[in-house]
Amino acid sequence: MFAALTEEAIAAEAVVARVAHPSRGAVVLFLGTVRNRHDERQVVSIHYAAYRPLAERVLARIAAELEAEHQGAVAIVHRVGEVAAGQASVAIAVAAPHRAAAYAASRQALERLKREAPIWKREHYAGGESAWREEESLVPGR
Amino acid sequence: MRIRLLAFASAGDVLGSPETDLEVPAGTRVAELGAVLTQRWPALAPLWPRLAVAVDGELARPDAPLAENSEVALLPPVSGG
Repeated sequence: MFAALTEEAIAAEAVVARVAHPSRGAVVLFLGTVRNRHDERQVVSIHYAAYRPLAERVLARIAAELEAEHQGAVAIVHRVGEVAAGQASVAIAVAAPHRAAAYAASRQALERLKREAPIWKREHYAGGESAWREEESLVPGR
Repeated sequence: MRIRLLAFASAGDVLGSPETDLEVPAGTRVAELGAVLTQRWPALAPLWPRLAVAVDGELARPDAPLAENSEVALLPPVSGG
């Protein structure tokens, strides 16, 4: 299991190397990148903020639980700071003996990260304006 | 008693700072913090219902008590990924 926040550009191959093993015949790499549009607005970059100690523990918990569920290896790396459009903001690498488990764990890792990790994006638009995106409440039921 | 308040994203904008030291009545619980904070920062009121609170690095239930020097983090709805 590997989970980390980083200020540096994500090196996808290094994330894959965290999980690859000859016993695991399926490796799924997911990269989330900064989209250059939000509705009608042009997005230049996104600033990612995190409550780091809790975010790191949440990412580690997600990775560990998915490893146990799918008998695979999971690595999650998420950017903090400024990420330009087109650059990766998150990388999830999963390796499992077979593809079904690897695909499933990859998707679950991203969906859980979006709902559970205390990480926020502030979009910066062409023209200089910016706005926080706040989507999934951490309050149960909200 | 004094607590250290961390405020993220829109909550940080409302407080005007990501970190604030705050005096609260001894024995204040997480649920009671809403009244204390919205009195000082009225613009926090509309955010409060969807704001999660972490105490000393872990999500806290409404009945969790605060202690002297607790680190209390205000966590608006998240948007990672």
